[in-house]
Amino acid sequence: MDFDWDTEQQGFRSTVRAFLAAHLPADWEELAHGPGSEAQSAFSKKFCAELAKAGLLVPHWPQRWGGRDADPWTAFILAEEMWAAGEPRGGQYMNVNWIGPTLMRFGSEEQQQRYIPAMAHGETIWCQGFSEPEAGSDLASLRTRAEKHGDSYRINGQKIWTSYAGHADTCFLLARTSPGRNGISIFLLPMTTPGITVRQIPSVIGEGDIHEVFFDEVEAPASAMLGGEGQGWEVVRTALSLERVGIPRFALAARMLSRSVARLQGDGRFGHGAIEQAARARAACEAARLYSYNIVDQRCHGIPTGPEASAARFATVMAERLVGEFVVEHMPDALAGGDPLLLAHHQRAIVAGIASGAAEIQLNLIATDLLRLPREPR
Amino acid sequence: MDFTLTSDQEAAFSAIDKLAAQFDSRPTDFHGFALEGQELDRQLEDGQYFDIAAIPEYGPVTAALAVERLARSPYTVESALSMLVRPQLAGEWPRPLALVENGRPGRFVASAKTLLILEGGRIGAAKPPAEALESVESLFAYPMGRLKQAVEVTWFSESEAAILRIWLRTALAAEASGLLHAAIASTVEHLSVRKQFGRPLGTFQALRHRLAECAVLAGGVRWLALKAAATADPGDAALAALHAQESATRVVYDVHQMLAAMGMTLEHPLHLWTYRLKALLSELGGRGGQASAVARHCFGTALDQ
Repeated sequence: MDFDWDTEQQGFRSTVRAFLAAHLPADWEELAHGPGSEAQSAFSKKFCAELAKAGLLVPHWPQRWGGRDADPWTAFILAEEMWAAGEPRGGQYMNVNWIGPTLMRFGSEEQQQRYIPAMAHGETIWCQGFSEPEAGSDLASLRTRAEKHGDSYRINGQKIWTSYAGHADTCFLLARTSPGRNGISIFLLPMTTPGITVRQIPSVIGEGDIHEVFFDEVEAPASAMLGGEGQGWEVVRTALSLERVGIPRFALAARMLSRSVARLQGDGRFGHGAIEQAARARAACEAARLYSYNIVDQRCHGIPTGPEASAARFATVMAERLVGEFVVEHMPDALAGGDPLLLAHHQRAIVAGIASGAAEIQLNLIATDLLRLPREPR
Repeated sequence: MDFTLTSDQEAAFSAIDKLAAQFDSRPTDFHGFALEGQELDRQLEDGQYFDIAAIPEYGPVTAALAVERLARSPYTVESALSMLVRPQLAGEWPRPLALVENGRPGRFVASAKTLLILEGGRIGAAKPPAEALESVESLFAYPMGRLKQAVEVTWFSESEAAILRIWLRTALAAEASGLLHAAIASTVEHLSVRKQFGRPLGTFQALRHRLAECAVLAGGVRWLALKAAATADPGDAALAALHAQESATRVVYDVHQMLAAMGMTLEHPLHLWTYRLKALLSELGGRGGQASAVARHCFGTALDQ
């Protein structure tokens, strides 16, 4: 058991930090506010294209798709550094973490050729059409319909809370082709397809972050379906397992905590109450970090992800909460024009237990699969 | 970064696990507060397991895993200080060890061959004569004792004391991790069989979520303790001990609430783990003490010990 980074890993982290230092503009922290905003989206395309040229966008992807087959640690170190910097990749982190790998596993040759190179070059933004007004945690009850008409499907319905939809080129869409859990299919749909309407939802979490997306008699060719008809649930479970420790939230949380503490120390305001809260938050960040590293380590050893991934996600939620509360209590000016990155962190931290699925679902999984408590009646 | 145990570590841990497994059931006629594991202690001595941290193939990580495993047993043995702190002491200091913090009663003090004395900012060690020690009745589920007269103390240098503080915190976290996991496992058992409103309590989401949160905290304590044992870093040790005491505070309350009156009885073993956790809450300065150490080592804040 070894908790140290090897020379290669340290070197890779230094390379990523040097790249960030060289490529993030002086006003980057202002931009980081609003991860789906027009300015951030435009910047992320430029930034990701440069990352790709430097071999730092998809190093863990197979060579065939522009990567170098780097191990999961490389991907995670990259993700930590990007997230700690305020995530300059914007929504493209999803391409790197799970949309690309999911297409590699389930996509047709035509779909792979059409979409994967653009992701590997950092030129394209995707959104995920999962949640609906009546289907959040109970995702399998989604109602958006895709009805077969000859060689194509006609899609009608509504998605909600869709991140990055305002600037997305393509939607990874879940729609119902027949009743039940085995009646869900996935469509890869250009957002310019006639019949798609996007409406931004004003929110406290930042400009351009969440949207409603309406599908009105949208025609999708059968070739737009990912995997087979009814295979959607299986595909999504695979994709979500890649995403469960996808965002190293603890990295930005720990950085923002240190920044806040340094400010308080500078002002002579780091007294005993703040010390106890900061120390608790720091311990929670480190616990979340180690939980996440354990999952990465399992991936490296080819061990299938189990309920520990749910525990890792919940440990991260706990850490985000403690850091978020610390900043609000001790650095309130951060939310009033005092520090754009602390503000951006706050806006991301408050959805830690919500984005990519309510954390209570993870508690259910921990109770059943880790603790082996008897199941709830259905 | 690699969380896999080496084959040597794996073998040593599985031997200790096998040994400890013989002591996983409590005697049905025991209705006391502290259940001592003299036979377990003897077998660990015979196998020379208390010295594994000093063997390079095993190291402190294996020792921390062993402490964690042994703490899950209803029978308590003095393993944490022997396995994790004693290897750091220069000179011959026989086990069992016990900590006397500012003159307060402590765990295993009455039977200790070596006392670690924490007084203000200083740490020293003493080999107390038996007549200087006495047992104390307590709820704490450890054999508690106190030092009743002055003993000759060898005081350590500041740098030696700093190293000992790392290992005292790591030992506390490793012990707490095992206790937390055992208390949660005991609660899972109760919630799985106890029925109300026609179904097991464990099917009610109010309890499932609460216990799942406890499990996440306990798992975090385990990781932080193992990391502290691996790095011997003062910041890592302070984080581990803080998260241990913080988590214990919450988990002990929650599991007792879930066991309700049954958890109040001496017939049920829950108190063996929760009251040991309560004994750990005040050690090494409690949460305030650990937070000060985190501030000093992780945030660069100069504070008192």
